[in-house]
Amino acid sequence: MRIVFHLPEALREFGDGQSRVEVDVPAATLGDALAALWTRYPGVRDRIADEQGQVREHINIFVGDENMRYTGGLATSIDSASEISIVPAISGGAEGVQKSVMRSGNKIRKYFRINSAVNVGA
Amino acid sequence: MVGQVLGHYRIISKIGEGGMGVVYRAHDEVLHRDVALKVVKKDAGLRPEASQNLLREARSSSALSHPNICTIHEVGETDGELFIVMELVEGKSLRVLSGDTGLPHESVLRYGVQIASALARAHDRGIVHRDLKTANIVVTPEGLVKVLDFGLAKQIGSAIFEEPTRSFATAGDASSVSGTLPYMAPEILGGDAGDYRSDLWALGVVLYEAVSGRLPFEGRTGFEVTAAIIREVPKPLGPPVPPGLWAVVQRCLAKEPIQRYQRASEVQAALEAVQSGAIVSQAPGPDPSVLNTTVLHSVRHAQVKKGDFLLLIGTTKGAFILRSNTQRARWDIGGPYFHGHAVYAMAYDGRGERRRIWASTHSYWGTVLRSSDDFGKSWTVPREATLRFPVDTGVSLKNIWQIVLGPEDRPDLLYCGVEPAALFETQDWGESWSLVRGLFDHPHRPRWMPGNGGLALHTIILHPQDRQQIFVAISSGGVYRTRDGGATWTAQNRGIRATFTPNKYPEFGQCVHKIAMHPDRPERLFLQNHWGLYRSDDSGENWNDIANGVPSDFGFPVLVHPRNPDCVYVIPVESDQFRCAVDGRLRVYRTRNAGNSWEPLMRGLPQKGAYETVLRDALVADSFDPPGIYFGTRSGQLFGSLDEGRNWAKILDGLPSVICVRTAMVDDATSGIKARAAAHTKSWQTRDSGRATNKSRATRNT
Repeated sequence: MRIVFHLPEALREFGDGQSRVEVDVPAATLGDALAALWTRYPGVRDRIADEQGQVREHINIFVGDENMRYTGGLATSIDSASEISIVPAISGGAEGVQKSVMRSGNKIRKYFRINSAVNVGA
Repeated sequence: MVGQVLGHYRIISKIGEGGMGVVYRAHDEVLHRDVALKVVKKDAGLRPEASQNLLREARSSSALSHPNICTIHEVGETDGELFIVMELVEGKSLRVLSGDTGLPHESVLRYGVQIASALARAHDRGIVHRDLKTANIVVTPEGLVKVLDFGLAKQIGSAIFEEPTRSFATAGDASSVSGTLPYMAPEILGGDAGDYRSDLWALGVVLYEAVSGRLPFEGRTGFEVTAAIIREVPKPLGPPVPPGLWAVVQRCLAKEPIQRYQRASEVQAALEAVQSGAIVSQAPGPDPSVLNTTVLHSVRHAQVKKGDFLLLIGTTKGAFILRSNTQRARWDIGGPYFHGHAVYAMAYDGRGERRRIWASTHSYWGTVLRSSDDFGKSWTVPREATLRFPVDTGVSLKNIWQIVLGPEDRPDLLYCGVEPAALFETQDWGESWSLVRGLFDHPHRPRWMPGNGGLALHTIILHPQDRQQIFVAISSGGVYRTRDGGATWTAQNRGIRATFTPNKYPEFGQCVHKIAMHPDRPERLFLQNHWGLYRSDDSGENWNDIANGVPSDFGFPVLVHPRNPDCVYVIPVESDQFRCAVDGRLRVYRTRNAGNSWEPLMRGLPQKGAYETVLRDALVADSFDPPGIYFGTRSGQLFGSLDEGRNWAKILDGLPSVICVRTAMVDDATSGIKARAAAHTKSWQTRDSGRATNKSRATRNT
């Protein structure tokens, strides 16, 4: 089964410089598909998930147009037509990402959350 | 009432009765649907104006449309009786579902996400629930959560909330209104009106109860419950409750609203992350760590050579390297490195043959420790983060706040202070890092609370002679010291005031902002607290207030003069609420008698409209004689003084917000270099600061 991933700019250095990665693997869920992605590109995993295996707070993963947070998390089922987009929530500096998403023709901008600025302790 | 008609609603049957009134199933004769109709008791304690307010509140709540909020269709008054018409929700209350043993955590996460989502919508509309509890959360047979009574508690509550506080001892039944007390946030019990963060507290109680079947704060009397809410820490939720869920509950139940999540959407995201985590953790792991190196393009590099002096600047949007020579008169700028990443910690490691710059980078892609052996031209890019919490800790790295080198003769040894508060150590030049378990397993750790910037171990001081002694400072945990190389740690906070806890002098939990030591007087420490300036003369056993003549004892950095153990610098800000230079005048305060008196240093610093903040690691000194003193501000200005603070000049402006400043001498400074530096001290301030400023503008593209 061929699964297509769209990687944001920040992750391309861990994905052989590609913005679109295809992984051929049997996968029933988004979790399976991601596991396959970072078996092939290990550097991607630590950027998406923390030590406890939780998807980082400000990273959104979309299956098609739907944010996995609303479709069952990593248990979201996928099929061979699924395209998976990994997108940081917009908060300063994500402009490049937004452009790449727009180019890919997705309608996922409407799901972006605005996050408050980094708090540095004062 | 059954059989009667109120407006166009025919009352069919009684559903239930609460403190606020009786709820009936009714039929809407116009829209032909069944609804829930709540008739507010005449004796519910409402004054006439309160019933008008209730009407207004209910009307504004009726504007809330959300799948997890029970919709209010209509609010009316007939024959002097107030009634509220709501969506009829059929299901069981979360209270009933939780039973005595609690629900499976998967269900609690599923419900919790929906409750948080409902709160987020309401809070966005300025509506606070004020009476969130398991009894008014209903779960339908399909698993859909409906939160009832939004916005109704405010008016009703003011009249009857006082009663449960008194009558709880006899009531005890959580389904009645008097069961509300266990969900009240400490600030409400303290007499505050509370705000949306009080709802997040209540959400924490709800989650705790739903997963365990018991309340986090219990007692036989209302007084005992109140005391528990204000003072006690809830009994931890162990396995099978995932550590992530327990962490969310703990943060919701932080005593201080500022230490909780600040938005319901954050709670929602955190719960969702826990949900997805359970699945991710089953995925196969990646290959072992491999270090890549990335050469950066379109970044200007400083051409560093032997004998140069460097300032390393970490900002919210990247790192900069400022190069000068021993005169420190002209500055070249390298950077920005790590575009868009916050750099909380930097260090220069010139031990042995090494010339390495360390930097921690933090973004939504995580936090990594990186290094450069060619002054920024290339940086390591760890494929897998080298510094990480072991899985069994249930904790994930949020940020690296401090990088400290081991002794000169142990170039393999480095330490990192991180958030959440913990100490890491490497004994192989940074190739691999391990968690210092002695501190992580300290029984106090679960009770440390995050400060405004997070729960961070931000300061590490190695004893200059005794290799077994290390001091660390944690915000908010306080000062800890080990005398056995990290195996055991003792809290050393006697005399340090905590303004935000009922006990003003607790054993630990203080929000210490920075500590400093002079290597010639290792028994003496200086401390800038979250309110309070202290000195200890007995290695931190006891602390004494030394805020004698500073305009405010609130601030972040404290710096000891590298050559004079009696000379200390601080930069006060006005207050906790207004963390800016006092009266808009940027002034460094210096003591030359170990804190018996302080003098303002302001020559060359802006004295009007300068609402500046200098963070805890943004004030440093170099190793020359006399030392140069440097500090960076949150507005992106960098100031320096080559005469111990008498005169200051702006080295740069236009930087992103400065988090840390570090100094580096490339190759060891010799006595000859020091002598030359001293001779040029006076020429610097006026001559070249303008030139440096112009250069900085060229780099202002982050």
